[in-house]
Amino acid sequence: MGKKKELSPVQERYQELQKKHELKKPILKNCLRAFLVGGLICTVGQAITYFYIYYFNFTEQTAGNPTVATLIFISMLLTGFGVYDHIGQYGGAGSAVPVTGFGNSVISAAIEHRTEGFVLGVGGNMFKLAGTVLLFGVFSAFVVALVRTLLSIWGVL
Amino acid sequence: MRRLKVLIGAFLGTMVSISLLGCQDRTSDESRISMVKPVNPEPIHINEKSRKEHDLAATVKKDIQSMPQIYDVAVIKGEKETLVVYKVKHLHRMMMKQIEADINKKLEKNYPKESFIVSSDFKIFIEAIELKDKMKDPGYPQDKAEKQLQKIIELKKEMT
Repeated sequence: MGKKKELSPVQERYQELQKKHELKKPILKNCLRAFLVGGLICTVGQAITYFYIYYFNFTEQTAGNPTVATLIFISMLLTGFGVYDHIGQYGGAGSAVPVTGFGNSVISAAIEHRTEGFVLGVGGNMFKLAGTVLLFGVFSAFVVALVRTLLSIWGVL
Repeated sequence: MRRLKVLIGAFLGTMVSISLLGCQDRTSDESRISMVKPVNPEPIHINEKSRKEHDLAATVKKDIQSMPQIYDVAVIKGEKETLVVYKVKHLHRMMMKQIEADINKKLEKNYPKESFIVSSDFKIFIEAIELKDKMKDPGYPQDKAEKQLQKIIELKKEMT
């Protein structure tokens, strides 16, 4: 980021005018909505975890993986049906931060680039948004595993 | 619109069939209720004739239940090992590892000759209640009960 450019008096006046007319962001309202929607998604996730624990042979430790897969699958379907867009518009970060946001980012990119063809369009752009999550997820998991291994070798853990 | 309905129908159908496939025959409602509220199951022992084992299971349960962080305990005394499963109060769930270490320490101190498997897993708790219900049937063979206990103990070792 470079040094802020000095503004001319006209530009300054324009900025003041812009500030006057700019709509204020309802931060508190957005936070509350994100909290509610995010919490609701997590409640659904908890219910799915209990479902897997009770009806299938999963323990609390192992039920996490199928739960995540199910939530991603449901959010992908909802994105395809056009429902998740409305949830996202209402909940904001509350719908993007949970793992359902990952499914949404994959499918919305695939739908967006559908017209460019199946291979170069859908295939090439599907992970445009979700690729970042995958890359940094794998990288941070590697770093954490490395730290843990070193700590256990040194006898700290 | 019709396509959407078909897709939703297919999705719901898949979900229902998955649930039906996953449904196992449960012996009682107690195991289901145990997921939401305390059921306080009686301590059980595989060798039904041994009075000593019964007393041991009862004292272990009493010992663990006296801890303030715990609200429900199930104890199964097997031939070699004793399974102790407990539920931790919600506000203390951040200290799960510490609680497990405390329980292990307490059991080792009070019963040095016994071997314990300690767990706070819901699945193991449910399975323990299922086994308790099955053992109510006088015709349920002892070796089958022991085998089932070993299966439950195996669940504790599963990590992923």
